[in-house]
Amino acid sequence: MNKYEAVIILNPNLSTKVDSFLKEFTSLLSDNSFNIIKTEDVGRRQLAYSINNHNKGHYLLFNIEGDPSKLIDIENKIKYNESIIRHLFVSVKEHDGDESYLFSESKSKKKDTDEDSEDQTSQTEEQVVTENTDNDSVEGNEVEDNAEKEQEEEVKDE
Amino acid sequence: MSKYDLPKKFDYKDVNTLKQFITETGKIIPARVTGVSASNQRKLTKNIKIARFLALIPYTDMHK
Repeated sequence: MNKYEAVIILNPNLSTKVDSFLKEFTSLLSDNSFNIIKTEDVGRRQLAYSINNHNKGHYLLFNIEGDPSKLIDIENKIKYNESIIRHLFVSVKEHDGDESYLFSESKSKKKDTDEDSEDQTSQTEEQVVTENTDNDSVEGNEVEDNAEKEQEEEVKDE
Repeated sequence: MSKYDLPKKFDYKDVNTLKQFITETGKIIPARVTGVSASNQRKLTKNIKIARFLALIPYTDMHK
């Protein structure tokens, strides 16, 4: 028995059919004697780049446990399912008991959208801006360090 | 000594942590710049590459 994390990105246009897909997939797993320890329906999420001309994807996360040889059979069946735009099985030593980061993020986003959708977009923009400045500061520090070194060298030369 | 808040265990789903270690163009920042230990840098790289495959972070800023 090995432990795996499965990530499946569904076609966003089929978001309404997620429940039927979940049933299908769980039965496929149980047919191959896989145990499902945790299921997380993250929901629609912006993709960092377009896959098959889709800009959004419906993320599903699973913590599963089963036989490695059976996993190949499962993957072969998933491969030709057109509603899945991307899938990945990662083997892990231990399953994370907590909620995954993506799931908690999607939850908090849902809350925000319920309260005020405009606020939420401005918040995400702010986050992006601060991240960028972080990167700049890293590079900026290095540049400063170099400049200081150069100055020291000049002093020595004199 | 590191100026980053490194988690105990890197996770490809933790996008905000991983984003600290890529440039604006999406490249992985070398450990000699960030000061991350070699063992952590290997784990980090692995997780960044998984996150890229899952479209959680971009490979480059040139995606159309």
